[in-house]
Amino acid sequence: MSVVILKICDVTCKYDTVKVLAEVNFKIRRGSFTGIIGPNGSGKSTLLKTISKALKPNRGTVWLNEQDIYRLKAQAIAQQMAVVPQETVISFPFLVKEVVMMGRSPYLGPWQAEGKRDYLICHQAMQLTNTLPLANRPVTTLSGGEKQRVIIAQALTQEPEILLLDEPTSHLDINHQLEIMELLQRLNQEQKLTILAVFHDLNLAAQYCDQLILLHQGKIYALGKPEEVLIKKNIQEVYQTNVLIEKHSLTGRPYLTLLPGNTLTAQKAELRNKHIHVICGGGAGTNILRLLVNQGYTVTAGVLNKGDVDLETAKTLDIPVIEEVSFMPVSQASHCLNLEMIQKADACLVACIPFGHGNLKNIEAVAFALDEGKPVFFMEENKNDLASRDYTGGKAEKLYHELIKRGARTINMVNMGSGFELSNFIRYLTPGPLSEA
Amino acid sequence: MLNQFLKWRLIFIALVFFLFLIIVVCLTIGPAPGSILNVFLILAKKILGLTFFKPEERWSSTFETIIFAVRLPRLILAALVGAALASAGVVLQGLLKNPLADPYILGISSGAALGATLAILLGVGSSLFGAYTLPAMAFIGAIVTIFIVYNISRVGQQVPMGNLLLAGIAVGAFFSALVTLVMVFSGADLHAVIFWLMGGLANRGWGHVKAILPYFLVGLIPIFLARRKLNLLLLGEEAAQHLGVEVETLKVILLGAVTLMVAASVSVSGIIGFVGLIIPHIFRLLTGPDHRILLPVSALGGAIFLVLMDTIARTAAAPLEIPVGVITALWGAPFFIYLLRKKKGTVGF
Repeated sequence: MSVVILKICDVTCKYDTVKVLAEVNFKIRRGSFTGIIGPNGSGKSTLLKTISKALKPNRGTVWLNEQDIYRLKAQAIAQQMAVVPQETVISFPFLVKEVVMMGRSPYLGPWQAEGKRDYLICHQAMQLTNTLPLANRPVTTLSGGEKQRVIIAQALTQEPEILLLDEPTSHLDINHQLEIMELLQRLNQEQKLTILAVFHDLNLAAQYCDQLILLHQGKIYALGKPEEVLIKKNIQEVYQTNVLIEKHSLTGRPYLTLLPGNTLTAQKAELRNKHIHVICGGGAGTNILRLLVNQGYTVTAGVLNKGDVDLETAKTLDIPVIEEVSFMPVSQASHCLNLEMIQKADACLVACIPFGHGNLKNIEAVAFALDEGKPVFFMEENKNDLASRDYTGGKAEKLYHELIKRGARTINMVNMGSGFELSNFIRYLTPGPLSEA
Repeated sequence: MLNQFLKWRLIFIALVFFLFLIIVVCLTIGPAPGSILNVFLILAKKILGLTFFKPEERWSSTFETIIFAVRLPRLILAALVGAALASAGVVLQGLLKNPLADPYILGISSGAALGATLAILLGVGSSLFGAYTLPAMAFIGAIVTIFIVYNISRVGQQVPMGNLLLAGIAVGAFFSALVTLVMVFSGADLHAVIFWLMGGLANRGWGHVKAILPYFLVGLIPIFLARRKLNLLLLGEEAAQHLGVEVETLKVILLGAVTLMVAASVSVSGIIGFVGLIIPHIFRLLTGPDHRILLPVSALGGAIFLVLMDTIARTAAAPLEIPVGVITALWGAPFFIYLLRKKKGTVGF
């Protein structure tokens, strides 16, 4: 058996004169789990249809186990490759076990009844997909997730070497999405089944696939491991959307967060001119940094020590930061850089952070902001709770009260409701144009 | 599931036996009644060449002629037509995934009617086909219609079922209009045409049985070979292909087979409605949607149903003959409505 199970050669598909796929070439290794991703209209489904022989390309061909599928009989293909569609509509009340048994058809002659081996294979497939309890129910009474599992069981009874799936989870709730994905992962790892699937959900694809193919306008835009394909530049180019790409803390796979309303509107363009400098640290600034970036503000932060959670957040958000060496107090050099940044900013925001001797310079920087006539906001959980976060023997607190007297404002996070109510907060932060504050 | 095959086999054998019994019983009914035993003996003598007792003492030779040359071919014809229409109905409902599909949905009936009308009113083809002009013309009309419908709906190498349905309805409507037009302008023997259109088996003999039997068999065999594939088609054409069915080839074969069977049936019996629509539904309610059982029981059920209905048509208002299509609807419709009410929501479409 060759290592390559599927070879797509120079496939070009047209609807009328519009090229849906243009000279697509790639190979699928035996035992791999590959996801095809791409925006609507990029040719994902067309590509899958071509591979499953549901659609004949205008040019090029598909080799399944070194045989041209357009010369193979449907029966021969069905013995090597099974296909799970996006959604199967079965309007006839076949029992689940009957539907699963239909997967044995490629092996049975017209007069041949199903034998012991066929029942055994059905039983195993239903066990794997956890559909045995459904065996005697009419398939018309099943929910979407149950039906999808039944169809996968049917596909497994074909004893395929490769399984093709077209957005297998797109009609399912999140719990059923995970259920199907974990089933596929198990089949891939334990049964050594090669899987090639179209995915709509980039995160699901990233978590489970070991190879991704990103399609863009009928061509392969990127192909490789999830972390190679799902990079900010690719997503921006192909999906025209800004996303936040982080490493998933548990799986280590790339994880995309949509940044809501990230398309540039006129109002957002105006906000982009508003520059807010955030003084944060120790994770207290993570949410506020994200929030401000989402709203479209130009954001800077400082001074943060290397290894600080907020520093990591700022980096993933592409926020310019004044950095300090790990565990060291803010140096004079960093402090000056911080002041330079504050000078350029329109407002200064102090997150709800504790103050120690290490970052006392940061609160001094806030004083500089007031000197420069910039509006200053302190975020608080309770009124005047800085005292409880002061580890400088009262120095920070004293400074804080002076600043309040000089016009610094406070934002009570509790009043904003639990967590960060986005719109309320922004309204609070910018009652009018910032310059008037 | 192994029990299921046993159950299927038992149902099948029971229905075969029941069909045979019904035919024997119906042979005894009519203007010259006879006992079931005598009918058995006549069948044994005529078919198997076995002679028990002394026949001359038990029945007259006239009775023997009535049973064997008049009633038997008519009942066999009824059984064949019933089986053909019901199995064609099953196949077309599955193929088109449409509960309203019946053997005539693709315009076969209109084409056959046009052929028959031309034969009756204008005498077209009478020099060519002699005594069988009417069935021959109806058969040709039916085949030509499907040929036209098929070619209208074909897109490249494929025949989308939606196209086929619409083309069938359009061509059927066109031919029906032509039938009416021919009737209006001829002004002649309209009674014969109308009676043919309503369907019936009066005065049919062994010649008709022999004429349609080959088409019936040629049509039935591929349909029975494709029973499992018909199940797969119910999952959708793409799904069927992925399960190893050459869908386009299968569609052509099935359409051809159904056309032969229905065209042959219509040519000898006229347009008997209802059997091909309701019998498949009744048996789908009783046995489920699996074609491996649905197809044989529907064929047998259609045969039994039409044998019974034809006997009623022949005897209920004797000597007047009621068109059998009227009887099929009068009996079948209420029974179907009863089943529909009783097994709500499981009709399968």
